[in-house]
Amino acid sequence: MNTSTDLLKLYDETFNSRFLLGTALYRNPEEMSAAIKASGSQFITLSLRQQNPAKNDGDAFWQMIKNTGCKLLPNTAGCKSAKEAINLAEMSRELFETSWIKLEVIGDDYNLQPDPFELVIAATQLIKRGFKVLPYCTDDLVLCLRLIDAGCEVLMPWGAPIGTGRGLMNKYHLKSLRERLPTTPLIIDAGLGSPSQAAEALELGFDAVLLNTAVAKADDPVLMAHAFSLAIQAGRSAYLAGLMQRRQTASPSTPILGQPFWHQQSS
Amino acid sequence: MSNTVDIAIIGAGLAGRLLAYRLSQLNYDIDLYEANQLDIKTSAQQLSAAAFTAAGMIAPISEAIDADLDTYFLGKSSLKLWPQIIRELNLSGDKKIAYQQNGSLIICHHQDQAELTHFTRKVHRLSQTCDAKFKTLDATDIKALEPDLEGNFSTGLLLEEEANIDNRHLMHALLQQCLANQVHLIDQATVSVTNNCVTHQHKSQTYQWVFDCRGVGAKAQLPNLRGVRGEVLRVESTEISLSRPVRLMHPRYQLYLVPKPNRQFVIGATQIESEDTSPMSVQSMLELCSALYSINPAFSQARILEQNTNLRPAFIDNKPQVIVRDQLVSINGLFRHGFLVAPAIIDSVVNWLQGKNCPNQARLFSFLEH
Repeated sequence: MNTSTDLLKLYDETFNSRFLLGTALYRNPEEMSAAIKASGSQFITLSLRQQNPAKNDGDAFWQMIKNTGCKLLPNTAGCKSAKEAINLAEMSRELFETSWIKLEVIGDDYNLQPDPFELVIAATQLIKRGFKVLPYCTDDLVLCLRLIDAGCEVLMPWGAPIGTGRGLMNKYHLKSLRERLPTTPLIIDAGLGSPSQAAEALELGFDAVLLNTAVAKADDPVLMAHAFSLAIQAGRSAYLAGLMQRRQTASPSTPILGQPFWHQQSS
Repeated sequence: MSNTVDIAIIGAGLAGRLLAYRLSQLNYDIDLYEANQLDIKTSAQQLSAAAFTAAGMIAPISEAIDADLDTYFLGKSSLKLWPQIIRELNLSGDKKIAYQQNGSLIICHHQDQAELTHFTRKVHRLSQTCDAKFKTLDATDIKALEPDLEGNFSTGLLLEEEANIDNRHLMHALLQQCLANQVHLIDQATVSVTNNCVTHQHKSQTYQWVFDCRGVGAKAQLPNLRGVRGEVLRVESTEISLSRPVRLMHPRYQLYLVPKPNRQFVIGATQIESEDTSPMSVQSMLELCSALYSINPAFSQARILEQNTNLRPAFIDNKPQVIVRDQLVSINGLFRHGFLVAPAIIDSVVNWLQGKNCPNQARLFSFLEH
């Protein structure tokens, strides 16, 4: 498989990397920049709320983010209503000069679960206003269909609640989503803790993953970013290669015709 | 014996005052420039200097968790240097500067247990690479150490070596002692610096050495420097007393509650990548106050004395640097670690200036060609 032709297409743009990385929680900006570099990511998220690069305010951190050369995906982290998210999206569009937005509307403080109702309202409005919306959503099929109706061309269902590192909690729902929405780019956003979980997401046919905590909070974030990048490539290649079907009984890889019958019985 | 070397120090924050104090003991002639107006009698309300808004902790292990070994070792040196500085200042001052080495207590709420586990794992790793000491605690130990902690805290850590200082009193005493040692203070002085020349109100003065200790104020000189917003509260409670700083695990930053004289407490600090110095946000206020309330509901009756916002000066790796270019020496990037690292850095600078062996030189100094 030639990976240069296996591109991730989101709205009207294509990306080589299937790894979207967040910019929060690193110990210092140097480590953040090094981790982004090691990840090979071309698309990074940042929060206007938490990082607030006030416009004429000697925005050194903002400059460092720009210097990574990555495309920016501002998010609406911390918003709890459609109105709040729409306002923040407008501010982000102006400040970061991009109409791309990772739409996050939180419905519960404790597990930071998306509010599906407000999310659809906000997505509908933002699409009308010309945004390219990537909604952070649950794995609920009907919600995902409503978001597509609203005009979202990419969906970002959660693997598990933000920052928990629990991986793909509901594989049944996630597989249903993949089967029912075969042409919509689906990005697993949130909840991934280890590279093997990211590989699994790609093996299941998800188009990309977005994560932050698992890299930023590792003892060595740069090495962990590299580890995720390898796992994501491995998972994608495995998906394209086509996984073998699982079976209930063992099936030897060498023919057993020549073996004595008592060995065959014990297997 | 008088030394003929003339020195300018720009910025009367913690680094500037410590340097002026140490060099004035060695009989250097010193001009100390400060952009703000200083009330020399009280020197109480100089909130523009980060050293006044700070909580004044010397916590090398706690801070090394999100910093690095260099910061840890500088902090360990400072733990040795502070008691000596305070002894000297207390000899001449009329009041004693509060300095306690009772350790820091690290605790968490039930839902942040993962953060404490992560912290403990890192402390454990630190104890294997260097001599960091810690004790793990259960609910009974925590209650015995701090009876006024009312939350349901089942596990914790005690970092016994860590200390804290009454930072405002110290800042005042340092300035008083500098003045007593004939340091020439020029306040309300916005200056420009080129090599060894300081220009103030269109008059230029040249020095043997110029030390730039301005923090974020030196941004024009140091393009890689940035400010990192921090917000803290100072409250007063007549009902609660603590014997040591308490750190509460939080998913985004370390919250700390530090007891100060006169029943005051400092709780902080947010850490936001922005150079916005506007007042504290409602969200930060809610987070800090709910942390107080969760430590002891009696904090609901505490009085909020101050809300402060300030910028921590930081380089890209958040490590301090001493940058020498000809006769201009910039001491900057102390980030959130002013009281932790300043004595060690100033000690190194003084030793270097005197041509003595300088233990932290490789860690701190860079020498630039003009």
